[in-house]
Amino acid sequence: MKKCLERLYNGLLKENPVLVLMLGMCPALAVSTRALNGIGMGLSTLAVLVLSNLIISCLRKVIPDQVRLPAYIVIVASLVTVTQMIIEAYLPSLYDALGLYIPLIVVNCIILGRAEAYANKNKPLPSVMDGIGMGLGFTAALTIAGALRELLGNGTIFGAQVMPEAYEPMVIFIQPPGAFLIFALIIAVMNAIGIKTRQRQLVESGCDGNCALCATACESKNPEEQKKGGAEK
Amino acid sequence: MDAGMMNLSSAPHVRDKWTTPFIMRVVFLSLMPATIVGCVVYGWHAAAIVAVSIVAAVLSEWLFNKIAHKPSTIWDGSAVVTGLLLALSLSPSLPLYIPIIGSVFAIVVAKCCFGGLGKNFINPALAGRCFLLISFGRIMNTFAVDGISSATPTANLAAGKAVNLTSMFLGTSNAVIGSSILALLVGGLVLWSMDIIHGQICFSVLGGFTLFIALFGGQGFDPTYLAAQLCGGGVVMGAFFMATDYVTSPVSRLGQFIYGCTIGVLGGLFRLYGSAADSFSYSVIIGNLLTPLIDTYIVEKPFAYRKNALRGLDPDSRKPRYKRIPKPVIALTVIAAIAGVALSGVYSMTKDTIEAQKEAAKLESYKVVAARADSFRAIEKAEEMISGSHENGVYGSGFGRVKINAVYEAVDEAGNPIGTVMSITSSDGFDGDVTIALGLDADGKVTGIAFTELHETPGMGMRADEESFKGQFGGQDSVLTLVKGEAKNDGEIAAITGASITSTAVTNAVSAGIHFYQNVIKGAN
Amino acid sequence: MNKSLIMIIVAGALINNVVLNQFLGICSFLGVSKQMKASISLGGAVIFVITIASAVASLLYDFILKPLGMEFMKTIIFILVIAALVQIVEMFLKKKSPAVYKSLGIYLPLITTNCAVLGVALTNVQNGYNFIECVLSGFGTAVGYTIAIVLLAGIRSRINEKDIPAPLRGAPIVMIAAALMSIAFMGFGGLSF
Repeated sequence: MKKCLERLYNGLLKENPVLVLMLGMCPALAVSTRALNGIGMGLSTLAVLVLSNLIISCLRKVIPDQVRLPAYIVIVASLVTVTQMIIEAYLPSLYDALGLYIPLIVVNCIILGRAEAYANKNKPLPSVMDGIGMGLGFTAALTIAGALRELLGNGTIFGAQVMPEAYEPMVIFIQPPGAFLIFALIIAVMNAIGIKTRQRQLVESGCDGNCALCATACESKNPEEQKKGGAEK
Repeated sequence: MDAGMMNLSSAPHVRDKWTTPFIMRVVFLSLMPATIVGCVVYGWHAAAIVAVSIVAAVLSEWLFNKIAHKPSTIWDGSAVVTGLLLALSLSPSLPLYIPIIGSVFAIVVAKCCFGGLGKNFINPALAGRCFLLISFGRIMNTFAVDGISSATPTANLAAGKAVNLTSMFLGTSNAVIGSSILALLVGGLVLWSMDIIHGQICFSVLGGFTLFIALFGGQGFDPTYLAAQLCGGGVVMGAFFMATDYVTSPVSRLGQFIYGCTIGVLGGLFRLYGSAADSFSYSVIIGNLLTPLIDTYIVEKPFAYRKNALRGLDPDSRKPRYKRIPKPVIALTVIAAIAGVALSGVYSMTKDTIEAQKEAAKLESYKVVAARADSFRAIEKAEEMISGSHENGVYGSGFGRVKINAVYEAVDEAGNPIGTVMSITSSDGFDGDVTIALGLDADGKVTGIAFTELHETPGMGMRADEESFKGQFGGQDSVLTLVKGEAKNDGEIAAITGASITSTAVTNAVSAGIHFYQNVIKGAN
Repeated sequence: MNKSLIMIIVAGALINNVVLNQFLGICSFLGVSKQMKASISLGGAVIFVITIASAVASLLYDFILKPLGMEFMKTIIFILVIAALVQIVEMFLKKKSPAVYKSLGIYLPLITTNCAVLGVALTNVQNGYNFIECVLSGFGTAVGYTIAIVLLAGIRSRINEKDIPAPLRGAPIVMIAAALMSIAFMGFGGLSF
């Protein structure tokens, strides 16, 4: 039980996939144009993530090591296609809003990263909790960013007018530069409050963009490395 | 660290006896003629914009340094110059919060976040200006003299109208505050003669721009036309005061020449083929992006790269091929097969729901555009009419990639036909297909349009769904033309500012529908 | 060359820049742009992979998936094609050009999970491009990716972490730089010949 709760805390704050591990930035930046999109995309990804973690964890002793990456990709791609079809059938307005980014959940580094880092080394139940935690962290990050962008760029949050009538919306925040600026702001704020974790230090100094390597590093059993990373501040 | 002492960093390159504050003071003074002319011509409000912009810039730099526990740098005068440059590039009729926001962004984001003077890679004033252009597009494009707004000379030139070259030169035309070419030239040439700015940069910018316009502007080397192009849209200001900024321009002479030409050519490209008249700022900051690369490759020798230096050292490449085929390919194939079967299952389950969904959405939108209809019935030979009139899946010519999907007759309760509805798709949308339902009454006049597919940019193309744009189509009964600004005559539709692609796609779709109705449906009867 | 074909390349590279406008390929964009040489190498590999992947995906879609009514399998098929292509490129480079292979290191397999590759293939389908248009669109997109990553690498080479205020060090300042680049690239918006 404690391990499961720990997984939730991990995914939400300590190793938030978007803000700390810097995974899944593509959909995060693209989709967070309003708060509602953030929730929609976040929950879709959560669904895929939980299922993929579950399946991969169950199959972890069966999938040969050499083809594990392509195998994961096929599993995730199938899950995503199913999700896409279900959303297109039953939630068409969400489908319209998220568009191209639903199939791109396949290459969302979070899913493959967690499969590689956690699901293929742990039992199904913790893997599911890890998926939920990471998915919630992803959803939270996207929703907050989406809310900020919608607020500044449109004067509304979740479609409800919040800013006064006289406020002239700054459209740039709904557009690409605004996405970068808002996320830079959120991460900077997190840094400033001191939620900077060992993970981000490793990310900045070592991973050089390799998602799989990124997610594995935080599970490093090497006490030396853990100590070194924590000593920065 | 006292900014007045010798600066040992790599950029800006400060000459021996000249310190940063001194240079900033000279630049400030060289901008004074243009500032004074601007304030005299445009009045108190212009002066207020200048003042507010400078104060906001200085205050934000002071505040940032305080919060970041850094020594105060406002006395080097660079914030003042940034604020002034930004103000001079703005329209004199803007509300005062605009220069404030612009200055704050310019100083805090473009400059201070990167470490302050000498550490930024982009011209702060222009970064601020472009930030404002994107955030407040419509407002930034308003140039009002005595409350009456009209187009700038550059916009007029782009539309092919005549411009008053003398007034542009003196600075009395309807443009930004710092638009007096005469005053700018005075200041700029002073800076050049004092060797504070490099001739390589400003003259290659002007040269590149002029050459591009001469070659592609359609009027050859006509001096009046070239002068008019040069005197508008911030070209002179950009060439002398923006592109020449030490920090963001290359160090080597050849590099500066390349940089200047690129900015000039891009400026010409945007002026002639871009959608906004106001695009020179973008050319300069794109040039800024190139500066680090230019500095890396033009000053130093290129990497010494010897091909095939490591060939034969890799043991893996010597293994025979058949030994490297992995057995687990079988496992992978099995997983893929299972996935395929599972997917087909879900697909067949959801396929019908998805189809029904789409049909329902179409029916919804038909009801919207033909409110009084009770039901919709198929028109005789509709399928043939549609396929007969389409070539390669496109209807007609001059409507772009447009397709008539379906056409129905709207009937009332008694079964009398009261109009027609059509579903039309234009593939020329900005972000994919745009599908509309078009309603026509019994006389062939548009009753309204509704969108069944619209994925455009929020705040821009998506505004096609607003009544202010959609409503224009009501009552139209002929092929339509899209105009920028206001639609004055029948058959004209005013485009959405900044969303010309979406506006064109929608207008073409409607025109195609009207054309189809008049030529194919009515023709058949 | 046909004007509209040129427009497809220009649009892919500059007007709708894959990274700065469509947010595809961000992970490697932010990660690899730390070093100039890696950025150039990655850019070259990306151009190669995306162009060929677009071509192959286009053929597969038009001649196999559509006639069989199996369009819903496109995501899986495309990603498998991409994975296979990257493997092939890797093996090819290992044998023919070990120096380039060594310099690319781990970045090569990374291209498989690069959203841009899959994104381009899917967008081509969405836009209904024919074969030539798919190839050019892929090429243009990849060129745009290379331009963006090389420019950012240049900018990052100038950034000295010590000058940056502490909360902004690392990811935030890179994203601010990307924001400014994105602002600059919006100058290309609306460009048409």
